[in-house]
Amino acid sequence: MSYFECLRAYPEGSSSASRMALKAKSLGYGGIIICNTAPGNLFRPEAAERIRGIEVAIGAEVMAKDVKSLRSRITSLRPRYHLLLIRAATEELVRTASEDPNVDVLIPSYSSRRPLGIAAARAAKLNQVAIGFDLGPFFRLSGRHRSRWLESLGRNLQLARKFDLRLLLTVGARSHLDLRTPRDIIALAEVMGFEHQEACQALSLAGDIMALNRRCWPSPGVELL
Amino acid sequence: MIFQLEAEGEIEGKDLIKEIIASQHSLFGDIGSAKNRLHLISFDGRQGILRFHHKHMDQTRATLASIHSIQGTRAALQAKGVSGTIKSATEKYLPRLCKINGDCDRRRIELKEVSGCIIRTQGLEVDLCPDDSEWTRGSDTRYLGLTSFDLCGGHEDADGTADGL
Repeated sequence: MSYFECLRAYPEGSSSASRMALKAKSLGYGGIIICNTAPGNLFRPEAAERIRGIEVAIGAEVMAKDVKSLRSRITSLRPRYHLLLIRAATEELVRTASEDPNVDVLIPSYSSRRPLGIAAARAAKLNQVAIGFDLGPFFRLSGRHRSRWLESLGRNLQLARKFDLRLLLTVGARSHLDLRTPRDIIALAEVMGFEHQEACQALSLAGDIMALNRRCWPSPGVELL
Repeated sequence: MIFQLEAEGEIEGKDLIKEIIASQHSLFGDIGSAKNRLHLISFDGRQGILRFHHKHMDQTRATLASIHSIQGTRAALQAKGVSGTIKSATEKYLPRLCKINGDCDRRRIELKEVSGCIIRTQGLEVDLCPDDSEWTRGSDTRYLGLTSFDLCGGHEDADGTADGL
């Protein structure tokens, strides 16, 4: 199984795309997907392609303040990038993102009390939107903040299982020091409540989505060969 | 377990084990920690040997993975391999990890997008102390992580060395 990691590179992180690729390759990843909010400003993406033995792809991440700007960002980024990741902070944004079939992965915020509702989960299932679990806060938080975050993650996981949603695991790396080996992430995910097989599939889902989106789909269910 | 440490500064063994124990305590509590007593057998500043209970391997991996910084210095621990005895662990995993001392040079990088002072180079990897600390904002790191591929042909006055520096 080939594992993929969605991360941010310089200028939105502190390591360049090639450094991330070099480190990910040494950790045993099959590929990385660079999901910056402004992918056009990425520092030397061509240097990352010179790292052999690892697939480097460019996706896009959307962070929006309101529904209108979220929709316009999705419309403008969808044709240009093969992976569209939405980080939604409010319940309204979560609902909007889950109802849009153009969205690949939705990462709900774990700060609010009820980040993913039943309606949003049902809409995500209908529109084939995967639910992302960003483990980044786990490393940064501690004490009661971390336990509250874990509680929120557990609730989202329960809901995702109930509606049989596809899961995606990422550590939200912004530096090469944030990257962990796939085996360590799977072990960490198991501590948080994931099943072993579930965690393995969640870590390779980004690669599957990329492979699917690279094919030519003129309309839903129709592929141009 | 043989592990490898990557950090932005020098880390001492006693600080490392203190952080590992604190991380284990935070994740598994008193009862979980009592079942899996961790013991740092050796550590040379870059790689080390950690003893743990063989039935708690995933817990030990999770403990090491959850370490974010040691004494305020950004660090990452990576498990290289697990073996039943110290002898076989050393034979299997340590010879491959030859100790590399990072070159400490003070050359400068002047590019349109990034500029700063080189802190260390190791193979293709280049750590750069940026002129503007805003460039590392949000990632809790002091240095920018680059590779020599990023620097190739970056400046018209560059001396044209193979590594681009």
